[in-house]
Amino acid sequence: MRIGQLSRSELAGRLARGGLSLATGPVTTRIRTSIPGVAAHLAALYADFPLGEADGIADFSCQLRPPRGVRRYYRPQVLFLADGRSVFKPLAYHQAGPMLEWGMNWCIASQLRDRLIFHAAALERGGRALLLAAPPGSGKSTLCAALACRGWRLLTDEAALVELGAGRVSVAGTARPVSLKNASIEAVQRLAPEAALSAPCRDTLKGTVAHMRPPPESVRRAQEPAAPAWLVFPRFVPGAPTRLTERSRPEAFMGLAANAFNYAALGRRAFHRTADLVERVACYDFRYSRLEEAVQVFDELATRREPSAVPGAGEPGYHGRPHGPGVDGAAAGGAGERAARHPVAPGR
Amino acid sequence: MQERLPEPAARHLWGGYLAAERNAEAVRWELEQLDGGLLGRLSPPVALKGAAYLLAGLPNAAGRVCHDIDLLFPADEVGRAESLLFFEGWQASPHDAHDQRYYRQWMHELPPLVHRRRGATLDLHHNLLPETFAVRVEPRRVLDAAAPLAAPWRLRVPAPEHLALHAAVHLFAETEWQRGLRDLYDIHALVEHFQAARGDRFWEELLDEAEALGVAWLVEPALACGRTLLGTRVPAAAAERLERHGPPRWRRGPMRALFRHGLNTRASRTPRRDALARAALLLRGHWLKMPPTLLARHLLYKAFRAPQGARAGGGETPTHRHG
Repeated sequence: MRIGQLSRSELAGRLARGGLSLATGPVTTRIRTSIPGVAAHLAALYADFPLGEADGIADFSCQLRPPRGVRRYYRPQVLFLADGRSVFKPLAYHQAGPMLEWGMNWCIASQLRDRLIFHAAALERGGRALLLAAPPGSGKSTLCAALACRGWRLLTDEAALVELGAGRVSVAGTARPVSLKNASIEAVQRLAPEAALSAPCRDTLKGTVAHMRPPPESVRRAQEPAAPAWLVFPRFVPGAPTRLTERSRPEAFMGLAANAFNYAALGRRAFHRTADLVERVACYDFRYSRLEEAVQVFDELATRREPSAVPGAGEPGYHGRPHGPGVDGAAAGGAGERAARHPVAPGR
Repeated sequence: MQERLPEPAARHLWGGYLAAERNAEAVRWELEQLDGGLLGRLSPPVALKGAAYLLAGLPNAAGRVCHDIDLLFPADEVGRAESLLFFEGWQASPHDAHDQRYYRQWMHELPPLVHRRRGATLDLHHNLLPETFAVRVEPRRVLDAAAPLAAPWRLRVPAPEHLALHAAVHLFAETEWQRGLRDLYDIHALVEHFQAARGDRFWEELLDEAEALGVAWLVEPALACGRTLLGTRVPAAAAERLERHGPPRWRRGPMRALFRHGLNTRASRTPRRDALARAALLLRGHWLKMPPTLLARHLLYKAFRAPQGARAGGGETPTHRHG
């Protein structure tokens, strides 16, 4: 059964009773709330997603509710609770939809440790996956939304999941709505007028935010991972000409590791898996300002037959495991702000 | 076992195992750096809690995540240790004058040190319990009884009875019970392990030492909770001896309920009673930690004078990390 098959009152009823289990590809989230904004958000953006089993296991248990206190009567707010614990400072009540999205992102980034998680958008075409790795504000989500509207299958706009155990490297995602902010909302609307966007939510911490409903085909195939083929570091530079340049593999490795959420927590396993991935892909830097041209560049990339850049790539462990140097405590410090969270640092 | 664990559950357990394994590796590495560094100029420090369990190869170390490293020094060396460690990149985390005084004058440890490059945290202790705690514990007993580790370690670990006592005293004098269940499991795993290794003699030493240090009244509820929740086996003779240190009969029921609810996780069926218990345990912890006038002063400062950032605590903004 899909979210879209529930009537609005059924949806609201399930959410209020704590029975809404939302299956987004490899991750299932149980959501409890009586805030109408959350039900509206789910109805608008998640209609194609299946419901998880009502009494099955959910990876995350979330609740959205106003903080207790008198403030709720004159300036209501919303809290996001994961396993009963509030993880963010409260937001204004009308931002419950974005709060749900950010909360679910937080759950994935901080609670999953059985796979490597990159702060990257991922899309698939012809069985090959494109990874767009970049910090916020690089135009990663905008590019991701544009490609998803032009025939690429959306894997994720936020967190690319890479299995640690399996021999073959594959990228998976939840196919959840793409988060767009400020000028990128209009840019995507111009490029794809048919794209279904949620009503813009104003005055959030990131300015105006809207979410794009993922294409139904992407949602239907959300359980299906894809083999990575391209790793691109995008950067939106106003007025800049569209330029795709090759990036050296060591630099690509460092760039990707710096964009991992749980690199430090997984140690040498993360190092090896990142190396496995980087060896299998063509690596590029990409600068753009015009979305239409950017989409063309990636279409060309997808139709080109990519020569395997490294002989032997495709065999697991090519880079010399298990003799390769392990990542020790000191080396973990070198891997960017996100990855640098030391395993011996105070936890929540 | 006939039934297999459902895959999603197995995945989370596997993820927890990976993170714990990496944490242990990182803690061991940090300890090696500390042990081979400038601390060599002082008498060998004693590793406490997680670091000690790991180095002593105790059963509760497997799967356990420690968030900081704890080392115990003689009181007259702890200041020098801090100065020496500064040259290896360990810096005191920023605290205002009140907090500095809070730690240095009243507590059993210095303000936590954070490594400048790696962000690891290190607590330097000169005692197991705050100077202002309801009973004063003599740290010499712990330092003198500590056992050396196999070469090349200079670091030492507490004697078995001190390991178990510290785990019990730490939890049952605590203000924050977030990791209570883990701490209770530490107590359980330690006493069962030492009972298996040393028999009833361990229990005699444990209780002798608990009485000598004046903390048997904290050990009694620890083992009672362990028995109820984890099935900790306490020999009859020891149970009888502990009984004498328990609270009077009329207070026993409410106290047991308080600890039981405090130990519940956030996924419990009694969230309201648990929250009440957590609040009561917070007050109890502070009450035990400080005499009333000092407590009032500290709480008033925290409520009205502390800088905004220090008070708001917890909760990043949603955009802080995620785009």
